[in-house]
Amino acid sequence: MLQVQNLTRRFGEHTAVDDVTFSVPSGKMTGFVGANGAGKTTTMRMIMGVLTAHAGAVLLDGRPVTADDRARFGYMPEERGLYPKQPIIDQLIYLGQLHRMSQGDARSRAQELLERFQLGDRRKDKLESLSLGNQQRVQIAASLLHRPSVLILDEPFSGLDPVAVDSMVELLREHTAQGVPVLFSSHQLDLVDRLCDNLVILQRGRLVTSGSGDELRAAAPRRHRLTVSPDAGWVREEAGVRVIDVAGQDAVVELDNDDDAQRLLTAAMARGRVHEFSRIRPSLSEIYRGVSQ
Amino acid sequence: MSTLTKLQHTGHQPEGAPPSVPRNTQPAWLIVTLREVMVKTKDRGFAISTLVTLVLIVAGVVFNAYMDNRGDDFAVAVTSDAGRSVVALADEEGRADDGNATFEAVVAGSDDAALDQVRSGDVDAALLQNEDGLWTLTGKEEVSPGLSGGLGAALESFVLSTNAAATGISPQELLAGSELEQSLLEGSTENQAVASVAGFAFGFLFYMAAIIFGLQIANSVVEEKQNRVVEILATAIPIRQLLYGKVLGNTILAMVQLALYGGAALLALNLTGTSDLVGGIIPASGWFLVFFLFGFLILAAMWAVLGSLASRPEDLNNSSAPVLALILAALGAGLFATGQLLVVASYVPVVSSVAMPIRMLNTEVALWEPILSLVIALAAAAALIHLGEKIYRRAVMQPGALSLRKAMKLEQ
Repeated sequence: MLQVQNLTRRFGEHTAVDDVTFSVPSGKMTGFVGANGAGKTTTMRMIMGVLTAHAGAVLLDGRPVTADDRARFGYMPEERGLYPKQPIIDQLIYLGQLHRMSQGDARSRAQELLERFQLGDRRKDKLESLSLGNQQRVQIAASLLHRPSVLILDEPFSGLDPVAVDSMVELLREHTAQGVPVLFSSHQLDLVDRLCDNLVILQRGRLVTSGSGDELRAAAPRRHRLTVSPDAGWVREEAGVRVIDVAGQDAVVELDNDDDAQRLLTAAMARGRVHEFSRIRPSLSEIYRGVSQ
Repeated sequence: MSTLTKLQHTGHQPEGAPPSVPRNTQPAWLIVTLREVMVKTKDRGFAISTLVTLVLIVAGVVFNAYMDNRGDDFAVAVTSDAGRSVVALADEEGRADDGNATFEAVVAGSDDAALDQVRSGDVDAALLQNEDGLWTLTGKEEVSPGLSGGLGAALESFVLSTNAAATGISPQELLAGSELEQSLLEGSTENQAVASVAGFAFGFLFYMAAIIFGLQIANSVVEEKQNRVVEILATAIPIRQLLYGKVLGNTILAMVQLALYGGAALLALNLTGTSDLVGGIIPASGWFLVFFLFGFLILAAMWAVLGSLASRPEDLNNSSAPVLALILAALGAGLFATGQLLVVASYVPVVSSVAMPIRMLNTEVALWEPILSLVIALAAAAALIHLGEKIYRRAVMQPGALSLRKAMKLEQ
C-alpha cells in the first residue's frame, strides 16, 4: 500500500498542496480528482520525488519510500515526453534498461505492449512520425514497460480514442490483479466511475475526502426518490425532509436517517398510492460534484 | 487478458523478493553513454557534417600544398656576364630550396633596352650595375619579395666569392668561425621550439574543439528537458548518472571525430609532401594528447553545466560566449606563462592542458607531477558535473533559462 501523509508543498507564497493525507491500497485503482490547479500534479510529482515535499512523507508498505523504490514505480508525467527523433522500440528498450531491465527482456516486453496498442508494425518508426494519440500509447507503454510495483499516472486517458481507453483499462486491471496500487488522475468522471475502487478528491490544495466507493457513498447525504399519485407537492411541508426536486408525481429528497425515511413512506401511503420509494445510490462523479461545489 | 500470465509482478511485497526476470547490471551512466553514441552515429545530420568537415580539411591541405608548390618563375633582364652569373646563382639556389623559384636571365643590349623590357612587361625586373659597381634591381610597379630576396642572396654570395678570389682566399675560409651555436642550461633549444609549436597547435585544437563540440554537449544535456523525458528519467536514475553518461558519450564522439579529422589531415599532408612541420610535432605530442583528453573532459563538464541551466537549445546562445572567452584566456595563460608561474599553471585545470606538456618538454619534470595534475583535472570535471546535477535537479521543473545565481537559490 502506498500512503501519502501530510504532504505539503509551497511555491513562494502559494501553498499548492496543503497537509494532504490519503492511501492507495494495493491491487486497487484509486482515482485522483479535483479541478485544475487543485494540486493533483504537484502531489504526484512529490510521490515520484521529482519535487521535494516541504512537509509530510510518502510511505510504501509502512516505510518511507526510497529512490530504489521509485525506480520501480511506473510514472506517466503530466508533461508527456519521449525522444521525438528516435525509433519507438529503441527508446522503449533504453528506458527499460534504465529501469534495470536486461536488453532482451526490455525488447520483448516493449514489443508485447506495442502490439497490444496496435503499434507492433510501427516499432521502427520515429516517435515524431506517429499521430498524437499513438504517441500517447507509446507513452503508456513506457510507464508500464518495467512491470512497475506502483503506478502513478497523471491524466493517462487524455487524448486516447475509445479503443485505446479499453486497452489501457485492460492493462491497468492486469496490474491491479497482480497487487499493484494504481493512482491516476482524470477529469473524465465517467471513467472514474467505471474504473475506480477508491477516490481521492482535492480542492485548492486540500483534501476534501478520500476512501473506497462504499465508504464515500455511506458518507454521502441520503437521498430517496419518491413517486406517488396524485401529486408529490405535499413533501415540502413534511418535517425532517429536505426537498432537492419536486415535479408532478416525482420528488427527490434528502433525509437524515432511516427513521425519517420510514416516517415519509408512511405519510405517503396515507395520502395515496406509492409507485416508487427508493434510495438513490450516488455515482462517484456525483459524490465528487457534491463535495466540490 | 491473454497476457496476464506473462506479467511478472516485481512488486515491493515480501521485502522486495528477488525477481525472476533477468536484470540489467550495467551501470546507468554506461547505458546513457551507449545511447548517446548510438543515436549520434545513426543520425544522418551528424554523419553529413562529419563528412563535410573531413572534405573541407583535406581540400584545405591540398589547396595549401598547391599554393606552396606553385613555383614563381622570374625573368630578369641583365646587360653583363656578372649579371647573368648572379641570376644563374639565384636560379640554382631557388631550385635547390624546394624547387619553388626559377630565375631566367634575358640579356639586353643596353641598360635602356633592359628597362624598356621591364616597361613592356617582357621581364619582371632589370638587374643593372653602374660604373661605380653598385647594383640596382628595377621593377615596373613592384618587385616581388621572392625576386628581390632570391637575387639579393645570390648577389651577396657572388660578390663574396669574387672578392675572396681577388684576395686569394676561399669564401669558406672567409666565413670560418662565424656560425653561432645555441645552448641552454636547462632543456634543449630543439625541445623548446617543438614545445612552443606543439603548445600552440594543441591550444588551437583545444579551442576549436570547444567551439565545435561544446554546443553539441550542452544541447545533448538540454535534450531531455526540451522533450520532457526528464521527469521519467529523473525517477529512474540519479541525474548525476545521466550527466556522466552524456559527458562521456560526447567525449568519445568528439575524440573519434578529432582522430578522423587529424588522420585525414596527416594523410593529406603526407600525400602532398608538406608534412615537415607536422612530422616534428608528432613525437612530442604524447603528453599533449593525454592532457588534451583530460582537458576536454573538464570542458565537456562545463558545457554540461551550461546545458543544465538552459531549458531549450536557444537558451544556450547567450551563455556560450563567456565560457569560450574563459577557455581562450586559460589557454593563453598556459601558453605564455614562464618560470614559477608556469609551474603553478601546470596544475590549474584547463590551463594545465597546455602548460604541463610545455613544462615537461622544457625541463625535467618528475612523473608524479603530470599525474597529480591529471588527477586534479579529473576532480575538477567531477566537481563540475556535481554542480551541473545540483542545477539540473533544481531546474527540471523550472521553465526558461536560469542564471547560475538564480539556479543555486532554487529549491527542487
